[in-house]
Amino acid sequence: MNELVLALGWIGIYSPMALGAIGSSVGCSLAGAAACGAMLETESGYGRFIGLVALPSSFVIYGIVVMFTLNREVTPENGGALFGIGLFAGLAFLYSGIWQGRSCADSINASKEKPEIFGLSIAPAAIIEGFAVFAFVFALVVSAGIPAAGGGS
Amino acid sequence: MSDPNVYIMLMASLPSPEALFLAKRPPLSRLKLDRRLRVLRPEDARALKLTEQALHWGEIPLTMTDEEIVARAKTATREIESETVRLMIRDRLEIRTCMVALRRRKRGEQAPAPGTVWGFGRWTSHIARNWNEATFRLENVFPWLREADRLLKDGDSLPLQRLILEQAWKRVDRRRGQHQYDFEAVVAYVIKWNIVDRWGRYNNEEAAERFEELTQAALGEHANLLEEGHA
Repeated sequence: MNELVLALGWIGIYSPMALGAIGSSVGCSLAGAAACGAMLETESGYGRFIGLVALPSSFVIYGIVVMFTLNREVTPENGGALFGIGLFAGLAFLYSGIWQGRSCADSINASKEKPEIFGLSIAPAAIIEGFAVFAFVFALVVSAGIPAAGGGS
Repeated sequence: MSDPNVYIMLMASLPSPEALFLAKRPPLSRLKLDRRLRVLRPEDARALKLTEQALHWGEIPLTMTDEEIVARAKTATREIESETVRLMIRDRLEIRTCMVALRRRKRGEQAPAPGTVWGFGRWTSHIARNWNEATFRLENVFPWLREADRLLKDGDSLPLQRLILEQAWKRVDRRRGQHQYDFEAVVAYVIKWNIVDRWGRYNNEEAAERFEELTQAALGEHANLLEEGHA
């Protein structure tokens, strides 16, 4: 039983990084596809499109920070907590990355013909970023209460 | 499952077809559109071709009979996997079926005999049964039918065409719904492209060419005789 809890603890430590990386890569890929399509149709504004493509890459950074915060000796006492916090923070980064990528694609699609709405069209993507920041910050806050090896917190 | 990136890239590369009656021509040429559509998977390209063959007048030879047109539509709805696309085809052909009925009735024709293939969709028998009702008792399904009947009787062909295309446009939009970056969105775009193209043709000399084409088809061999006589 202890071995399982230890394994779950390690999964929890690495999950935010791995799932954040998947979310970022899928998100960047979706936004990138829209940028490539829009560049076929427009004569300018390429830089803005490419800048937007990079927006979902923040989730892997959040994942790395959460991973380092959780990184400690895994014990039967803290394995469950590491698993819960790490996995769910990772899932939040994964889905935020994918949906932010779609949102960026919408923004690129909308602003290719109406460049003046570019700033406003990013707002939904920024809101999604906000939700991921909640997941990130509270993962750090909650992880402060996980007992360290030897019973301390 | 198809790659969503292909559809995102494709849809982002297509200029918006909005503003139906303001645009004099589609936002991009057919040549360019076909070039962009090359990224479709072969099975999707085939489904799109079937859809266009069933709906687009340019794909329907003048010599084609009603039975052949209906058979073609049935083939398309049988072979296309997407329920949304099948409904798009049905919606458009039901509008045409209503218009065929209105035109036939205006010419003084009687209701089509049972078993005759003359239209497509759910309402062909219903229309035949209610042939002498102003809107075939379909005013709840097609509220625009009364207006279409009036315009047809008055001979206002341009407003009538506008009304029909507007209804077709709305139906496509309704069916498209939440489809934004997928095959259904591409089909909706191509159908709307054809609607804008068709509307544009009413406003330029291509209408005259089409008229010439129809005249030639109607006259057949006699067309040459007339030309020779004229010369």
